[in-house]
Amino acid sequence: MTLNNKFLQNDHLGLIVRLAVGIIFIYASIDKIGDPAQFARIVYNYHLLPGELINIFALVLPWVEIVCGVFLIIGVYKEGSSLILNLMVLAFIIAIGINLIRGINLECGCFSVSSKAKESALWLLIRDVGLLILTAYAFLNRSNRFCLGGSKKA
Amino acid sequence: MMVGIKQLVLIVIVSTLLALVVNMASSNRIPLVGNWPSIPGSHTVAVPPSADEGDPTFISLDEAAARFQSSGTLFIDTRDPEDYEFGRIKGSVNIPYDYLEDYLDTLRAIPRDKEIVTYCSGTECELSLFLGRDMQYEGFENIYIFYGGWREWKRAELPTDSGAVK
Repeated sequence: MTLNNKFLQNDHLGLIVRLAVGIIFIYASIDKIGDPAQFARIVYNYHLLPGELINIFALVLPWVEIVCGVFLIIGVYKEGSSLILNLMVLAFIIAIGINLIRGINLECGCFSVSSKAKESALWLLIRDVGLLILTAYAFLNRSNRFCLGGSKKA
Repeated sequence: MMVGIKQLVLIVIVSTLLALVVNMASSNRIPLVGNWPSIPGSHTVAVPPSADEGDPTFISLDEAAARFQSSGTLFIDTRDPEDYEFGRIKGSVNIPYDYLEDYLDTLRAIPRDKEIVTYCSGTECELSLFLGRDMQYEGFENIYIFYGGWREWKRAELPTDSGAVK
């Protein structure tokens, strides 16, 4: 796969994917920022982080999501923000995968911190893989059209 | 790629600062280091963050298992019927807290002095606490809350049941 691939470097598709990913992550962050205690509980229930790190992780994660989302939409620090989102979605996939193997039916905490929002882990995995394709595209697409900030040309 | 990593570091710093400032100013603020039990052992009593003084007694997995052995105890599963049918503590009765009004007859049929253990999924769920509180308020005298719930029970491979109850 070359970075000069026409499909990969399409200006318009790049813009659409950036907007979509940006909106998805901003939307995902709002509920968590509003109720950090609830989100911390969900993070705790993944049983992956040491207790001391849970609150700080639950506080910072949604802000990383919202900052990256805004940067992607306006086209500033496009490379860095899409890189972070790729790593984050990868981490989500691993976290959900581990708990799927453990046989624990957990709350995702993806878009909502409500206990009512329960989905099957398999569906969450499929959804995250779809999201990973989008974030990967946003990272590999180096088009600078429709961008506020001059992210360096590859 | 180098550019990306530099930006990554910058974004993480900015987000962390934003998170800390907003958390300080927010009415929903949480402490930076929470008081989370590191590994829920079978003898540690898990207590929900919203527990109040005067709430029914919280019990550990060990104690729940001991009460399970003594035949006089009624286990109440407060989760939704789908979860209950998918898997539950053996012999437990389903009184889903979210549909409590449909289960009042079941609730009223229980003698007030019966020993009762309520539970739900685990530490992500407080339905067991809510039902326990309500029942205590209604005059039930021996309520215990097993907050570790279904998750701990299943992990310990204690007796379970599944399917619809006739």
